[in-house]
Amino acid sequence: MPTDTKRVRGPEVSQSPVLFGCRPAAVLPSHGPRADGRQRDQADVRPVFVRCGLVSQANGSAYMEAGSTKLMCCVYGPRETERKDETDMKCGRLTTDMRLAPFSCPVRGSWIQGTQDKDLSLMLYESLQPAVCLQKYPRSQIEVSVMVLENSGSVLAHAVTCASLALADAGIEMYDLVLGCSLCQDAGSYVVDPTYAEETSCGSGGGLTVAFLPSLNQISGLQSDGEMSEETLTAGVRTCIEGCYKLYPVIQQALIQALRRAAPPPSES
Amino acid sequence: MRSSVMVEEPVLLLLPFSSDWPIRIDSSPCLSQWEVGSALLENMSPMKLCVPGDKLCSEEDCIPGTGVYLRHGYIYSALAGYVLKKNEGEKRPVISVVRETEAQLLPDVGAIVTCKVTSINPRFAKVQILYVGSTPLKDRFRGTIRKEDVRATEKDKVEIYKSFRPGDIVLAKVISLGDIQSNYLLTTAENELGVVVAHSEAGAQMIPISWCEMQCPCTQAKEFRKVARVQPEYLQA
Amino acid sequence: MATVQVSEAEKVYILHGIRDDLRVDGRGCEDYRHMEIETDVVSNTDGSAKVTLGHTAVLVGIKAEIGKPRPMVPNEGYLEFFVDCSANATPEFEGRGGEELGTELSNTLYRVFNNKHSLDLRSLCISPGEHCWVLYVDVLLLQCDGNLYDAMSVAIKAALFNTKIPRVNISSDDEGGKEIELSDDPFDCMRLDVENVPCIVTLCKVGHRHVVDATLQEKACSVASLLISVTHKGAVTCARKVGGGSLDPESVFEMTEAGKRVGKALHAPLMALLRQEESLGMKRHKVGFLG
Repeated sequence: MPTDTKRVRGPEVSQSPVLFGCRPAAVLPSHGPRADGRQRDQADVRPVFVRCGLVSQANGSAYMEAGSTKLMCCVYGPRETERKDETDMKCGRLTTDMRLAPFSCPVRGSWIQGTQDKDLSLMLYESLQPAVCLQKYPRSQIEVSVMVLENSGSVLAHAVTCASLALADAGIEMYDLVLGCSLCQDAGSYVVDPTYAEETSCGSGGGLTVAFLPSLNQISGLQSDGEMSEETLTAGVRTCIEGCYKLYPVIQQALIQALRRAAPPPSES
Repeated sequence: MRSSVMVEEPVLLLLPFSSDWPIRIDSSPCLSQWEVGSALLENMSPMKLCVPGDKLCSEEDCIPGTGVYLRHGYIYSALAGYVLKKNEGEKRPVISVVRETEAQLLPDVGAIVTCKVTSINPRFAKVQILYVGSTPLKDRFRGTIRKEDVRATEKDKVEIYKSFRPGDIVLAKVISLGDIQSNYLLTTAENELGVVVAHSEAGAQMIPISWCEMQCPCTQAKEFRKVARVQPEYLQA
Repeated sequence: MATVQVSEAEKVYILHGIRDDLRVDGRGCEDYRHMEIETDVVSNTDGSAKVTLGHTAVLVGIKAEIGKPRPMVPNEGYLEFFVDCSANATPEFEGRGGEELGTELSNTLYRVFNNKHSLDLRSLCISPGEHCWVLYVDVLLLQCDGNLYDAMSVAIKAALFNTKIPRVNISSDDEGGKEIELSDDPFDCMRLDVENVPCIVTLCKVGHRHVVDATLQEKACSVASLLISVTHKGAVTCARKVGGGSLDPESVFEMTEAGKRVGKALHAPLMALLRQEESLGMKRHKVGFLG
C-alpha cells in the first residue's frame, strides 16, 4: 500500500487517556470511612438489587446490581451435550462463560475472551459445580453465561450469586444457593465488597473472593491473591461468610418474588 | 470405649460414594446448620414457597418426592418452587417441590417418548425426541431405533424401510441412555409402540389398516409401517 | 488432565490408610514424595531448572528480553508465564487438548506472583518508562503424576535462582538519545533475589483428612483441594480452591494452617540445596534428563 511520507503518522500503539489523567486521585485513604459511606473492617456489603427472568428466551436468567456493578446471567439447558466423554453418561456437564463487556471497565477491553475472562469463567465453574445436582442430568449440559455490564468491583463474587439465582430460576436442581462475597485487604484493615477504585488502589494487600453454600455451610469457591498472613486469610474467609449470610435473605426474597409473579400456587391435589 | 466406631467406620466411609449423594461435597460433619426462617415463608403465602437448600422437614416426617434431596436425615429443597405434601394412603406424606412450569424433563430409561424420524438406513432409524410422556422438550435430543428393536418377534426379518420413513411420528420407549458414540436407544417392540402418524407418497395422512400396513386415503396405495395400536390414554382430544 | 480409574475397594483402602496417617506409598499425610532438582539444564536459556516429583516432571526455562515497561508501573519489569502441556505428558494434551489446563496453570502463576515482595521487579528496570527486562517463564510439563502445581512452583523458584541477566550500561549520546550496551563478560551478570519467591502447596481433602502432594490415585478419591502459595516467612500470596467439590469452612482453615506449615518447611532445604548445587560450579556432574 503506498504511504504518504509527508504525513506525520501517529504512534503505532496508543494508550487510554485514563491512564495519565487524575492518577493521584485514585489512591484512596487506607483509614477512616469509605468513599461510599460504608464501614471498614465490617461485613458491610453494598445493597443489592436482583431480579429474575429478564431474558425470556433463556431457561433461566437473573440481573443483579450491587452499587454500580451491574451484571446479568442466562442459563440454557439442560440440552444434549455436543462434545461427549465417559463422565457425561452418568453426570451432566456444566459450562460457564463469563465476560466483561468492553465498556465495563474504565479502560476499554476487547471482545475476544482474554485470559482474565477465562480465569473468571473457571472460578465461576468451580464455585457453582458443587451446588448443582449434575447427576440428575445425564447426557446433557447446562450452560451458564454471565455478562458484566459495568464493573464496579467484586465482579466475581456477584457473578456467582447472580448465576446461582439464574440456575434456580431455570429450575435446575441444586443442593443449595451459592453466594459470593469478596474483600480487599490493605495494611491492617479490610474493606468488604470493594468498589473498582478500592480494588485497584489496595497496593500491598490482597483480594479474596469466597463462594459459599449457606444452608450446607460449605465453601465452594475460594480465591485470593496479594500478600496476606495465614491469620488474615482465615479472618477474611470468616468475614466473607458473614457477608454471604447478609446477602442470603435478599436472594431468597428475590427468588420467592419471582416465583410468585410467575404463577399462582398449584391446586392441591 | 468406642469399639463400635471401628465397626461403623467402613460404612461411613463408603457413604460418600453411594450414587444418591455424590462425592463432590466435603463429608466433614456440619458444624452449624443455617436454619431457614420457615415461619417467615409460611406467613407470606398459604402455600409454602422454598428455594434450593431450604430445610423442609425431618426424614421421619415425610417421604422425599421430586425436587428434594436427603442429607443427614433431613429433607432439603433442590428447587425454587412450591412445597407440596401429598398423602397417598401411606403413613407419611410424600413431600416434593414443584414449579409452575414443567420440570426440566430429560428422557429417562423406561420413559415413553414421542419422536419424529429424521433419517433411515438398513441398520437403524434416527429420530428426534419431541415429547417425554406428555411434556414437550425444549431442546433437541436425538435417539436411535436399531433394526433389532423395531419389533419383539422375528427380529431377524425386520427391514427398517418397511417400518419407518423419515417424517413419521413414532411412539417409542427409552431402553438405554446409550454410550459415548450413540444417542438414546429406543425401542418400538410393543404393540402400543410404533408409527402413529405417517404421510403417504402423495402427501396425505395415512390410515392404519393392520399392525404392519397403512393406507393412503387419496391413492389407496398401501405402505408398510410398524404401526402402533394407540392406547386410549395416549390419545388427546 | 491425566486421570486414573479407582475402584470402590481401592478408594476405601486409600481412605482408611489416610485416616491412619499411612498412605499407599508409605508416606505420612504431610510428606512429599522424593523430589529431584537440577538447575541449568538448558544452555540456551538464561535460567532453567528441571524438577521431578514422583513421576511428575516439569521443566522450566527462563528467557530475559528487553521490553517496554507497563504504563501503570514505569519503573518495574515484569514476568510473563506460559505453561505448555505437551502431548508427551499424556496423549490427551495433543493439539489443543492441553490448552485449558495450560491457561489455568499460568493464570494461577500470575496470581501467585501478583504482589510486591515475591520478586523485586524494580531490579528488572533498565530505564524507567523506556526499557526493562521481561522475564519469560516457560513451563513445560513432561510427565503428569499428580501435584503439578507444587512441582511447577519449585521448578520456577529454582530456575529464577539460576537466572543470570546480563548487566547493561546506559550511555547517552550527544543528541540526548540513549544507548543500551550489554556487558561482554558472560560472568558479569545480575542475579535475582529469590528468597521471597513463594512455593505452592496443594492440599487434597481425602475423607476427613487432607494430604500433601497427592498422587493421581489419591486425587481421584478427593473431594476438592486447596492450593496455597507460601513464602519462607509464611505469608500467603495466593489461595485457591480447585476441583469439583466444596469444603467445610473449618477444614479450609485447617488446610491453610497445614499448608503454611508445610510451605514454610519447604523453603529452607530448597534454598540450601540450590546454594549447594551452585557452589559446585563447573565441576558439577550434570545428570540431565535420563538421570
